[in-house]
Amino acid sequence: MSMFAEATVSRPLKEVLAIVRRVPFRVAVCLIIIGLFALAAMAPKVLQTHDPLAIDLRSSLQSPSIGHWFGTDQLGRDLYSRVVEGTGQSLAIGLGATALSMSIAVVFGVAAALSGGVCDSILSRIVDVLFAIPTLLLALVFVTVFGPSVLTEVIAIGIGTAPGYARMIRGQMLAIKGTGYVEAAKVLGHPFPRIVWRHILPNAMNPLTAMMTIGVGQAIIWASGLAFLGLGVAPPAPEWGALLNAGRNYVIYAWWLEIIPGLAVTAFALSLTIVGRHLQDRLEGKT
Amino acid sequence: MKMEAHHPIVWFARRIVSGVVVVWAAATFTFLIQCVLPGDRAQIIINVTSGNVGPASSAELAAINAKYGFDQPIAVQYGKYILGIVHGDLGESYQQHRPVAGIIAEQIGPTIVLSVTALLFAWIIAILTTLFIAGRDNIWAKLLNDTQVFFATAPPYWLATILLVVFALKLRILPVIGGSSPIGLILPTLALALELSGFFGQVVQNEFTRVLEQPFVTSARARGMSDFGVRLRHVLRHAALPGITLSGWALGKLLSGAILIEVVFARQGLGGVLVAATSSRDVPIVSGAVLISAGLFVLVSLIVDLTYRVVDPRIKLT
Amino acid sequence: MHLSNARSTRRFTGKSNYPARTVEAAFLLLLGLSQLSSSIHAQEGLAGSVKRGGVIRYGHFQEPACLFGGWVQQWYLQRQYSDNLVARSEGGNIVPWLAESWTISDDKKVYTFEIKPNVKFTDGTALDAQAIADNINGWLSNDPDLRNPTAAPYLSDSFESASAIAPLRLRIKLKVPFQPLLTVFAQSSQGILSPSALKRGLAVNCENPVGSGPFIVDKWRHGREVNFRRNPDYNSAPATAKHQGPAYVDGITWKFLPDQTVRYGSLITGETDAIYDIPAVAWKDANSRFSVLRHLTGGTPLRLALYTARPPFDDVLVRKAFAYSTDRRAAVDTSFLGSLPFEGNGALSQSSPEYLRELGHSYGHDVRKANQLLDQAGWTERNRSGVRVKNGSPLIVRISYSNAFLKPDGEQALQVIQQQAREAGFDVRLQPTNPADFFAGKNLGPDDYEVVLLYWVAPGAEIFRISWKPDQNGEPNRFNPSRLQDPMLWEVIQNAEQNFNGAERTDLYQQAERKIVDEAPVIGLTLLDVTLATKPNLKDVWLDRGSVGEPVFYDAFFDDKK
Repeated sequence: MSMFAEATVSRPLKEVLAIVRRVPFRVAVCLIIIGLFALAAMAPKVLQTHDPLAIDLRSSLQSPSIGHWFGTDQLGRDLYSRVVEGTGQSLAIGLGATALSMSIAVVFGVAAALSGGVCDSILSRIVDVLFAIPTLLLALVFVTVFGPSVLTEVIAIGIGTAPGYARMIRGQMLAIKGTGYVEAAKVLGHPFPRIVWRHILPNAMNPLTAMMTIGVGQAIIWASGLAFLGLGVAPPAPEWGALLNAGRNYVIYAWWLEIIPGLAVTAFALSLTIVGRHLQDRLEGKT
Repeated sequence: MKMEAHHPIVWFARRIVSGVVVVWAAATFTFLIQCVLPGDRAQIIINVTSGNVGPASSAELAAINAKYGFDQPIAVQYGKYILGIVHGDLGESYQQHRPVAGIIAEQIGPTIVLSVTALLFAWIIAILTTLFIAGRDNIWAKLLNDTQVFFATAPPYWLATILLVVFALKLRILPVIGGSSPIGLILPTLALALELSGFFGQVVQNEFTRVLEQPFVTSARARGMSDFGVRLRHVLRHAALPGITLSGWALGKLLSGAILIEVVFARQGLGGVLVAATSSRDVPIVSGAVLISAGLFVLVSLIVDLTYRVVDPRIKLT
Repeated sequence: MHLSNARSTRRFTGKSNYPARTVEAAFLLLLGLSQLSSSIHAQEGLAGSVKRGGVIRYGHFQEPACLFGGWVQQWYLQRQYSDNLVARSEGGNIVPWLAESWTISDDKKVYTFEIKPNVKFTDGTALDAQAIADNINGWLSNDPDLRNPTAAPYLSDSFESASAIAPLRLRIKLKVPFQPLLTVFAQSSQGILSPSALKRGLAVNCENPVGSGPFIVDKWRHGREVNFRRNPDYNSAPATAKHQGPAYVDGITWKFLPDQTVRYGSLITGETDAIYDIPAVAWKDANSRFSVLRHLTGGTPLRLALYTARPPFDDVLVRKAFAYSTDRRAAVDTSFLGSLPFEGNGALSQSSPEYLRELGHSYGHDVRKANQLLDQAGWTERNRSGVRVKNGSPLIVRISYSNAFLKPDGEQALQVIQQQAREAGFDVRLQPTNPADFFAGKNLGPDDYEVVLLYWVAPGAEIFRISWKPDQNGEPNRFNPSRLQDPMLWEVIQNAEQNFNGAERTDLYQQAERKIVDEAPVIGLTLLDVTLATKPNLKDVWLDRGSVGEPVFYDAFFDDKK
């Protein structure tokens, strides 16, 4: 692994363009899917065919058709428009949780790696403790204490997934700290904080970009898992997990209410994973 | 007392101490959680027990406060809590009025059976698919690889629901409520194992693709060993080490997954108890589960490290 | 309030689980009359010994924390292993059970019961007058191990003492007459338990309670099932049962299957013989494939309680306008897919004997009238989003509810109401609250809601005492979420309770009922029901009309035994 060769994240535009041109087909497809979901999150109205909350008692529980692409629920609400509507909240939870988790991880990881000694072992132990508690269980603890809400979900999943990242960052930081490259920078008389900020951190963060991409998808799946247990965001908000939870009761007679929201979650998480993997390969392939 | 730092006994003692520290910290964490619980704990206990909504009389509250020791100073409560844990007492459920240790002991068996079977299944699936696809570039290998990624990403409870409807309700091959019978274990295990096998498969496959390019593989082929023979021997050998680490790592994922899967299949186990405890704010149960899983984690990582030592004595212990 | 279908079936404010007795026989919907008649023939043609055998695998909904107690989930279980002093028939008459006969003194304050001889609890303790007196005194004591959270609030105002005046003669004294006394005794939560077993303490009794009923609790496998086995010496069946002596089946495997897909699925695949609570979405399918039993509970309907102590609902015109603004019938029909009827009478549910049918259509959907009433009440302006405004404050209605008291289908009904009320200018906001928060009082404070969705199951109008007792001596009635204080209404209710003339009492209760509907502190939505689907070969399962419609497996038998 000689990602240390590139000293900073900033690359010439030309290089970026070159990368874009080399994007394989499946990654391109995934990027389009992610783009569509992002659009759904930011401007749901553009994509919706119906009002996601409009109740139409006459068209209750219709299977997918031209009029209702994904079918309708018990109250005749258009499932497609509800899935689109729910994207924003699900994405917000995924991004929020990942951002929180990253912030915690960076603080812990960097502090542990740079301080070393007793401080390192204390911080590492704290991470160990959190790591020792399964993510879902930690999330349940938070829901038990603070009650279910979007914020609880974000905090619970953010903290639950942080230890993994923290360990990774610490490892990266230590590896980079130990290279002759940093020693060289020291010899050249660069102040230590500057070395950390300009050289160590960016290099440690590179592999994390890929992990984060995958992490957003995973966070959404955790959040929908909580909602699936009935401990998530309350309806009528058509958050994906809430749709999955509601759909489960109808699955024998109205499969679409369960299958389609699940496919949406999977499609999004899968796309993120494939793109994340691609980024990872890219970084490693630079050897 | 400068003993050899890598001496097995020193190493072992250090591992034990750090394990105890982890469990102690987890206990402190769960204690703090109970203290910051918003709302009056006694009020919640009374209303959850009787199904009442609204404020209880102060006499009722006082009785509960005295019974659970909520009226004592925090430090005393903390001391008692830690002392209780040392004696295997995880407190009493607010709702069931039984010792938490008993409740968890009763439910953890099926969860562990499910998790371990799923772990085995996951490895079998992962190794079989790897044998088949690694280093091959045909359409089937690609398809199988994509399937693996799909399973690694799809929400496990969603897959579980689909499996339940398809295999139990539509095709009627497998039972809806399996209970503790082996046949009833198939669907939940599969639901849990598919996700994990995706993860394992991807890791083992990377390892293995690298191995296939090594000179000794070429020489094995040159010696006339069949392609399948080469694959089988080297897959297994090279899956062993990452396999041990990954299995340890998978513990948390398995426990989380099992909670969800148990709820889908209405199976006995920690899942149902935890979900009920969470929605009724039965903190001692949730805390107890956290402690137990922290303990399990410490135990499993110790086993993983020990196994490592046995499999590959050159490994430096830290 | 027994909430048969909600995720967590609990009583509101402690009391809502009052046993619902269906007073009208017509509620047993044995859909598929052919099955009904064939079962009768089968029964006639079979000797008792042929009926015997088999274990009923029953898929229930929720698992309680204790096998007896105040929660409706506990009543279902207790009905299987304990007997009551008296039973209540489908017609609403009190009939013998452990008491073979009884007399009531002229001042209606002293009841004397003659107890059935030779009855034993399944631990061998004799079931005599003293044992029953011990039970009853325990219910009304302050001992947390013995106090009965269902009986106490009904009886604590009137009860004086219970004592054995002879080995088989029980005397109960009251401070004031209380006509519904026997009705209260007939509820499953008032099943008589062995006093010697009760001495073992609450924790042991929760695990392994001892009664004198047709089944014995064998083992409770937490998280999975309760195993009952037949009581071979059973000799104390109620007059409502179809036979005497021990039960026909060898036992019951009472499985807890909270997921409705799994529960209903297990019946489809034949892994269970009977299940509780048919999912709305499977209602039609269940009626075509299985025998369906259904009990519509009495007491209050599932209703919207409007906070009457402050604006906007302190004004009766606004309360009525809210009722008129929504098509609650359509909301119920769609959300519950025809599995539950609409109930427009907010005071009392249709299976209560005092129910007034004409009130069942109160406040039909009429937006014009709603608008008229709101204009009249001074809510004349509208803001930009169409919400009415008075003195600068918008017409906001916050509805608090919890899935502890409402199944998911009910939540959909609220979403319909939310949308419809908008047309008349109400800004309806839903406040879903998780059960733990709800029990902790979240969204239930005096300034936290305009509407709260609740119900309370009871046999009939005696429930009025619980809902409408005014605050006294600075002690608020916590079971009155409408906060309506009406001393005249209370007067009528008390008169009814002390009146032993059936027609006069009904008349008094109906006066109260009309007054409640007219003042509209509560608006009816639907009912709670208990539904059971059984495989066609399992005969003679019935729902207990003396209580909340618990399944009774005592008379049940399999008619196709190999």
